[in-house]
Amino acid sequence: MLTRKFSIAVPIFLIIYVIQEAFVSQIRLPGGGFSILLIFALTWAVLSETEVAAVIGFAAGFLMDLSQTAAGPFGQWTLIMLLAGYAISYIGYGDDNVQANALGIIFFVVIANLLVEIAYVATGALLGVPFGSFLQILITLFGMSIWAMLVSPILLPIFTRLHAIIFDSRSAL
Amino acid sequence: MRNGGRARLLLVTLIVTSLFLITLDLRGVKVLDGFKQGSQTIMSPFQRAGSAVLSPVKNFFSDVTHLGRTRNQIEKLQAENANLKSKLINRKNADAQLKQLKGILDLAGTAGYKIVNAKVISHGSSQSFSQTVTIDIGSNAGIKKNMTVLSQYGIAGVVKDVYPTTALIQLASDSGFRIGARIAGTQQIGILTGRGTRSAGLQLLDNSTTVKVGDILLSRGSIANRPFVPGVPLGYVTRVDNSAGAVAQTATIRYYTNFSTLGVVAVVVSGPDSNPGDALVPAKPRVTPIPTVTVFVTPSPSPTK
Repeated sequence: MLTRKFSIAVPIFLIIYVIQEAFVSQIRLPGGGFSILLIFALTWAVLSETEVAAVIGFAAGFLMDLSQTAAGPFGQWTLIMLLAGYAISYIGYGDDNVQANALGIIFFVVIANLLVEIAYVATGALLGVPFGSFLQILITLFGMSIWAMLVSPILLPIFTRLHAIIFDSRSAL
Repeated sequence: MRNGGRARLLLVTLIVTSLFLITLDLRGVKVLDGFKQGSQTIMSPFQRAGSAVLSPVKNFFSDVTHLGRTRNQIEKLQAENANLKSKLINRKNADAQLKQLKGILDLAGTAGYKIVNAKVISHGSSQSFSQTVTIDIGSNAGIKKNMTVLSQYGIAGVVKDVYPTTALIQLASDSGFRIGARIAGTQQIGILTGRGTRSAGLQLLDNSTTVKVGDILLSRGSIANRPFVPGVPLGYVTRVDNSAGAVAQTATIRYYTNFSTLGVVAVVVSGPDSNPGDALVPAKPRVTPIPTVTVFVTPSPSPTK
């Protein structure tokens, strides 16, 4: 059953990935912009069980590693997104304060977006990936959070609807 | 309980898989490069399409952020924009690329570089904190890893990865970018390091020499001209850090190239026969003389009525 659901989810992930790489990345937004794939994966992770959320995180991270602009070693995004997906679902799944409330999901996604980027920088630093000056990193992190806050409410209805269709969830907002 | 055990097993399996991937990549296993190459080959048509669709608007937001700094220019542009029609937007875009291309050809021609021109089809995502662009030519056009990439004003970056029809360029603004530099005229040498923005850091190798604001930097060149050909203009010194205790003198550099507006670049496929020296040092802007009129008035001997 879960395999069938994931086989339906895979093309959606690929479409989101193409949109991110071919269109969203092209627009030079101030403050670093946003990642539609990251927001998508985090939103789905909030709405899913821990098991499913971990697989969603793994798949999204794998695609992010495939991106030619990924600075770190292959697998870094996969590991971070896998853990992020599991952690978000562990905290948020089944909690009506989060799942039944659009603002709760947006809050979760924005905070998770920031924490994921911080984790990426921290692990990247351990692995010897150059990220630039501390100030530049702070500006980018701040900019990405602002963009995630602006974009998440617009994308949330679409992402939750897709999640409801595929995973038969009750949390379509 | 059983479900909990299954979830834990799945999580552990996925974590081990991720760590396995990281280990393979750090050990330089080629299978993962194949994954990336394959995905890039599939993605490049989409990126071309995206670039074509978003071409007129993709720099809109970065232009907006510079409003305060270029007020006069914006006012002038606003007046011009009122008269523009939608079909002229594409023409303007083409003209800008033509201007960049002309600048690149002039630069390469003066130094004797053999170049291949390319269009920028994608800018790297900022989510990974790297500064990269993708160009529309690759190994099929003779592009190889570690070739110098030029803009119309000077250095743009270096070829980082090559695919059959596209190539990934690490911009000179990337934090991981390093290039040997020399100061035009004095020939002092140092290492230029990207900082994630248009400014870069210069560290001189000899502390007994001095550097001053306005000094122009050129690339020093590498063995067999790869990754860097000699004589490419890099930027100019904007600030000198005079720290008495410092082992080596450092300075802040501003690149000539504006990395956010790159539309056309050139990859140097073959270096010059001889070092061009300071031949590519950009000419200083010439001040246009403003004619002044002096009026001499001689008072009349008798007062007027």
